[in-house]
Amino acid sequence: MSVDTLKNSLKKVLEEAVKSIKNVNTLSDLESMRVKYLGKKSLLNGLMKTLSDLSVNEKAQAGKDLNDTKKLINDLILEKKLSLSVIENKSDDGFDMSMPGRPSSIGSIHPISKIMNSSIEIFESLKFECVEGPEIEDDFHNFTALNIPDSHPARAMHDTFYLKDDLLLRTHTSSVQVRVMDKQDPPIRIIAPGKVYRKDSDITHTPMFHQIEGLYIDKNVSFSNLKSIINVFLKSFFEKEDLKIRFRPSYFPFTEPSAEVDIEYTDSKGNKKWLEILGCGMVHPNVLDMAKIDSSVYSGYAFGLGVERVAMLKLDITDLRLFYENDLRFLKQFQRI
Amino acid sequence: MKITRSWLEDYLDISVKTEELCHELTMAGLEVDEITKIGNDDLIDIDLTPNRSDCLSVFGVSRELNIINKKYKMKPSKNKIVNHDFCENTKINFTIQDNKICPRYSYIYLKNISSSYANPENINARLRNSGVNLIHPIVDMLNYIMLDFGQPMHAYDADKIMGDVVIRLAKKNEVIKALDGVEYKLTNENIVITDSKGIISLAGIIGSENTSVTESTKNIIIESAFFDPNLLANKARKLKLHTESSHRFERGVDFNLPEKALQKLINILQENKVCEYSGIQIIEDKNFLPKKNKVKLNYENIRKEIGIEIENDEILKLLLLIGCEYDKSTDSVINPSHRYDLCIHADYVEEIARLYGYDTIPIVPEKISLQPTKRYAPFEIVNNIKNYLYKNSYSECINYSFVNDSELENYDWKHKKFENHKEILNYMSIEQYKLRSNLASSLIKNIQLNLNVNSENSYKFFEIANVFGDNLSRVLTCVAHGDKHDENWTVKKRKYDKFDMTSIVEDIAKIFGLKKSDLIYEIKEIVDNKLMYITLSLSIDKLIDKIKNNSKEKFTDYSKLPYIRRDLSFFIDVNITYESILRFIEKTNVHSLKKILLFDLYIGKNVPKEKKSLGMGFIFQEDTKTLTHKEADIYIEEIVKGLKDEFKIELRE
Repeated sequence: MSVDTLKNSLKKVLEEAVKSIKNVNTLSDLESMRVKYLGKKSLLNGLMKTLSDLSVNEKAQAGKDLNDTKKLINDLILEKKLSLSVIENKSDDGFDMSMPGRPSSIGSIHPISKIMNSSIEIFESLKFECVEGPEIEDDFHNFTALNIPDSHPARAMHDTFYLKDDLLLRTHTSSVQVRVMDKQDPPIRIIAPGKVYRKDSDITHTPMFHQIEGLYIDKNVSFSNLKSIINVFLKSFFEKEDLKIRFRPSYFPFTEPSAEVDIEYTDSKGNKKWLEILGCGMVHPNVLDMAKIDSSVYSGYAFGLGVERVAMLKLDITDLRLFYENDLRFLKQFQRI
Repeated sequence: MKITRSWLEDYLDISVKTEELCHELTMAGLEVDEITKIGNDDLIDIDLTPNRSDCLSVFGVSRELNIINKKYKMKPSKNKIVNHDFCENTKINFTIQDNKICPRYSYIYLKNISSSYANPENINARLRNSGVNLIHPIVDMLNYIMLDFGQPMHAYDADKIMGDVVIRLAKKNEVIKALDGVEYKLTNENIVITDSKGIISLAGIIGSENTSVTESTKNIIIESAFFDPNLLANKARKLKLHTESSHRFERGVDFNLPEKALQKLINILQENKVCEYSGIQIIEDKNFLPKKNKVKLNYENIRKEIGIEIENDEILKLLLLIGCEYDKSTDSVINPSHRYDLCIHADYVEEIARLYGYDTIPIVPEKISLQPTKRYAPFEIVNNIKNYLYKNSYSECINYSFVNDSELENYDWKHKKFENHKEILNYMSIEQYKLRSNLASSLIKNIQLNLNVNSENSYKFFEIANVFGDNLSRVLTCVAHGDKHDENWTVKKRKYDKFDMTSIVEDIAKIFGLKKSDLIYEIKEIVDNKLMYITLSLSIDKLIDKIKNNSKEKFTDYSKLPYIRRDLSFFIDVNITYESILRFIEKTNVHSLKKILLFDLYIGKNVPKEKKSLGMGFIFQEDTKTLTHKEADIYIEEIVKGLKDEFKIELRE
């Protein structure tokens, strides 16, 4: 046999081997491939025997070619073996990779915490500074300073839990606005997340829930700025650049103009609906004046986001009460980091 | 408020589908909650905000629609001016004690009402659709006009009124037995209508039982008055009352309506030949009618606050459209009498934004200076702890802040007796009547609930929240129940124990570069319902404080020379804490001692009574020269001697 014929034969064997190894699906088939191409009775071994007919120079060259081919095929088989081992859960030492490992050390973070954190992160990236206020409030900070005097019909909108000594459980995080404006001069750019309480309990209301309040006061703050920040936040939060958002007039005593923000939501049946997602507006001049901020110089916007509401939308939860039952089967659905 | 499309069509030309009409209402701030089909008609449920009392009627909504979009044309009024054949008005004399409390009071007298009279079905159907109960044809007619026009009126059985009528403020503790059969105790802030025997109506809120109209009523006095919203605000709510009438009066009813509403009533009475009726009697003092507010326009402020380009005369045009008057000399606008919400300049800014269309206002990001984000330290710390616990098989819970009276609630977060709870005066359920003083009880309840429905052998829950003890403070509580690990083939079952909790404390200290002794915490075994729970509670507030004052993470150089280890096993009094041993050794200040570890603790067989056996390892290492075994022996001897002197330890073989 000439060197050229040998070369051709090797090329053919290699091509065939590449193809067959690629198509092998089990470790046992792979083993028979190994026997076929590299075993004692393999074609390559047969070719080895023909080398004796060649001259010394030719022998050296042909031997090298042959060994290279063998090595290539061997590498292919080893590589394939590795991937098949993972699929078939077997490795050389008989280790069953499918066996459960030692007890998991992964717990879960409550979905409300996760939603709060991701919202806070977005607002912090938009340069809002996070602050907190007390859950037990007085009438002044929860109502009066927010332009909700005792006689105001809006007070009927809040079903408030009262404590002794004219204290109450705050009905909204807006009370934190008042505390911040008290201590700080504009520009003010804060968010205030936390628990709030209202006397209400059914499938869509729990007596305790979470809100994130936002406030920005500076010179030349406009409603169009408010529209922008809400747009940026909602699109980022729902991870949807083409999220449809609409603003419509509403009424809150502490903002004017006031707006309710809806997003377009497609339910499980494919129906599109507008869903109310947050309330916002331009800080009412009375609120600024009461906080001794000159409303003829400064203006601002404020917004309040109901955390449970967006959490339900984002996570496809329909019964609000699940959040507070703390059933492990609920909690463990939120295991991702 | 529920009204039908066909009712709106009494006032308006509507050429679009109800859905489109409702979309326009919603986008103008009159949010439509629901559209319900009723035969060929649509029932529209509008959720009105409290500032828009002018839209609390079919007429009001029509007027608004006409403003929003000119394509909804107002139809000419159907009220016919006819020559009425009036009967004589009532002989009863009406006086208002203080004109301030009722600047406008008008009434008519209805005579000889037929007991067989029934309202046209059209009226009854509209009332039913709007959710108003039918009571008596005349009362129904008044309710109809209220829904149609916005003016609440009241009907008295004229024959039950004794003597003359006086409108005055109630005396303190004066009582009215109202139409609903309930007795209400009044204060001197309530306006009342009285006859010689007592109160016949609580102005603008509810009538009394004894002068109410019944089936046998023959003659009626209809009251159509104006009560100032400032005087009525909150009054019904304080009595735990809410009526269609109080709802409207406390938000503000147009003071021009009382007479118009009576004219409308007369029209219906005549058309349906109900009874004889008198002309309208009016008592009024215009000085006390609400003053209209003159507001000077700041066009630039309007443009800036909203963020739009709009010409001055465009602004003015919009305000004239909603019925404002314009005073050219002062460049001011005056609100129409039905718009109580237009008082200050900001109200006009809002009105311009609303009419311009919120959706048309451009989206413009504010310019803010670029500065690195300042993360809020308490949340960052809390999140780090949450993440650590999450990676150590703990699940986070969130529970309500209010609790019931169970035994476990009678402790503060450090498991000390506590009974001085903050109580909710108007709690919803006895299960939620006070604010919790610890988190452990909530988490134990969570585990108990889970045990009923879940098969796990190991529960590890935590919560970080404010507790309401003597002071408000933020606390972390971990509660574990059952085994250390989930059931698994690789591990021998063992109960979760207090030392597992100790590791958590040690880890948390490490995470923040602190010592265990820097933290304020409590580890307990709590037995409830015969089940055992291991709890750890740790003050987050104190942790945050410590972290604030902590030094920055820095490098310290270490020895590159070999170490020598010496182990000691000894008996020591069982009551001596590990901490005091460490402290003592630390004090003896033995040369080149780098590390101490505890490898064994044993109490029981072969250990003398009242003693424990400890196995401790000591690691010695020099910084500048290689330590010799001889030196190590000297050092360990020093430690042994010290321990013997201090704690009377007894070395084991």
